[in-house]
Amino acid sequence: MKTGLVVDDAAIMRMRLREILEPKYKVVGEAGDGDEALRLFKKLEPDFITLDISMPGTNGMQALEQLRADHPGARVVIVSAVGQKRLVIEALQMGAADFVIKPFEADRVLEAIERLFCVEGAAK
Amino acid sequence: MKAEYANVFIRSAVHVFQKELGIRLTRESVNRKNSPIPSLPVSIVLGITGSVRGQVVYSMDRSFGEDIAHVMVPNKLPSELKKLVNSAVGEIANMVTGQASIELAGQDRVIHLTPPAVFTGTDLAVDFLEVPTICLRLLSEMGVLEINIGLEELGGNG
Repeated sequence: MKTGLVVDDAAIMRMRLREILEPKYKVVGEAGDGDEALRLFKKLEPDFITLDISMPGTNGMQALEQLRADHPGARVVIVSAVGQKRLVIEALQMGAADFVIKPFEADRVLEAIERLFCVEGAAK
Repeated sequence: MKAEYANVFIRSAVHVFQKELGIRLTRESVNRKNSPIPSLPVSIVLGITGSVRGQVVYSMDRSFGEDIAHVMVPNKLPSELKKLVNSAVGEIANMVTGQASIELAGQDRVIHLTPPAVFTGTDLAVDFLEVPTICLRLLSEMGVLEINIGLEELGGNG
């Protein structure tokens, strides 16, 4: 089973994302800010990470930049309310695979995660 | 303060409450005041910087916040749910502001939001801006949502 790290400063959103993901994936950790996300990603080596943008301390965009620098193969899906066009483009250019805008449907999140591994499978 | 900000936030709040919570909001009133100081017991403050800057302050009764948390995570025990009220109302305020920011930013601007800060009680130790503010009151069957929009637009692409 593929493993994931859920990053959001709101406990209730981490809980919701875990509930959406867990039938199909194993959520191995949760982080409430960018620094914790970077530390847990290095420690847990998950197959994917969902990343909020607006968070205290190191925000999601800063964490994404650092994550892709440290782990170029990291599979990242942004899950954020701040879906402004320029930010979406910037996140995708920085290596995020998808950008899910809150409020979201559960299927939209699952589709984004499934696509991470479908693309990989098709390339093999 | 642009009057059309009111319509942007009304559209955003109606969309988020309907999609995330299944709650229908309707407009009760729109007023102007000199600061985004809230009037109801639970307040959520978001700072905004970039090409638009200022504060947006949401407020509601505690019971409305508890109802929102219950809808977001229906399977929790009441004791667990109480701990999640601040997280729930903060996240809903973040979604409404984020949705509004998409429209305000348009094609080529960026608007940054601070994470929501949630306060309870009426004696708030918060420095509210002295800025022309639009105060929206939106009604639902669960209670009133007040949105105080204290924003100024800057020139350029921010």
